[in-house]
Amino acid sequence: MIDALAYSVVALAGVAVIWGILTAIVNKPPGKAQLLYAAGLEAVTVVQSIIAAAKIIGGFRPVELATTIGYLIGIVILIPIAWFWANVERNRFSGVVLAVAALAVFAMTLRLLMLWTPAG
Amino acid sequence: MTDVHAQPTGSTGPSSTGPTTSGAGRVLVAVYGIFALAATARASVQLLTRFDEAPLAYLLSAVAGLVYIIATITLARGTRASRRLALVAIIIELVGVVTVGTLSVLDPEAFPRATVWSIYGIGYGFVPLVLPILGLAWLWHTRPVND
Repeated sequence: MIDALAYSVVALAGVAVIWGILTAIVNKPPGKAQLLYAAGLEAVTVVQSIIAAAKIIGGFRPVELATTIGYLIGIVILIPIAWFWANVERNRFSGVVLAVAALAVFAMTLRLLMLWTPAG
Repeated sequence: MTDVHAQPTGSTGPSSTGPTTSGAGRVLVAVYGIFALAATARASVQLLTRFDEAPLAYLLSAVAGLVYIIATITLARGTRASRRLALVAIIIELVGVVTVGTLSVLDPEAFPRATVWSIYGIGYGFVPLVLPILGLAWLWHTRPVND
């Protein structure tokens, strides 16, 4: 994992949370820009998980290996599922669904940063 | 699960398929889905790697994960039968989070490692405590009119 990249994911996810809540407040479904932004967040998250996976394969052992791997997979699948779920019925709650998923990515990436210290 | 709205449900009318999954219900299902993922993954890691340390806590973790999975699927389906199952799952969830939360405060020794329900879900921003209440409220809110 690269710290700068992880913090980028955290920042991008934070913006996605706020954006999702804002579209809900103004009572609109997520617009094209917001959906593209979510796709961008997903892309950066995928890159980060791939780099982290490569480092683990390369021999890096974080304190909680199994948990770390679970998180690296989890953060990648959340946004696509939320995207699908938000688009089946498009209204203000679609934005909240995207916000909820982004909040999970936000929290899980922060947790990953904490877990990413060498074992022993 | 793309066919949730296409379930043939016999004599029950079209209104009985999916009220739980519409509007705010989509958010509820999304949050339940995340907790299903989080609790199940966490329990799997705990059971597979260090079951001996705290068997009770880790088994309860697994139960929590299962309850969240059932609640997610049944709320997402929203048929009459699945609403009944959702009600049972959510009541178990409420009893579970209150029981485990209270035990983990009274007897921290029994819960040396955090589970999703420890201290009423403090590790997850107390969402595990609020979620079953929202779930029950939502089932009540979307109850069939003449049932």
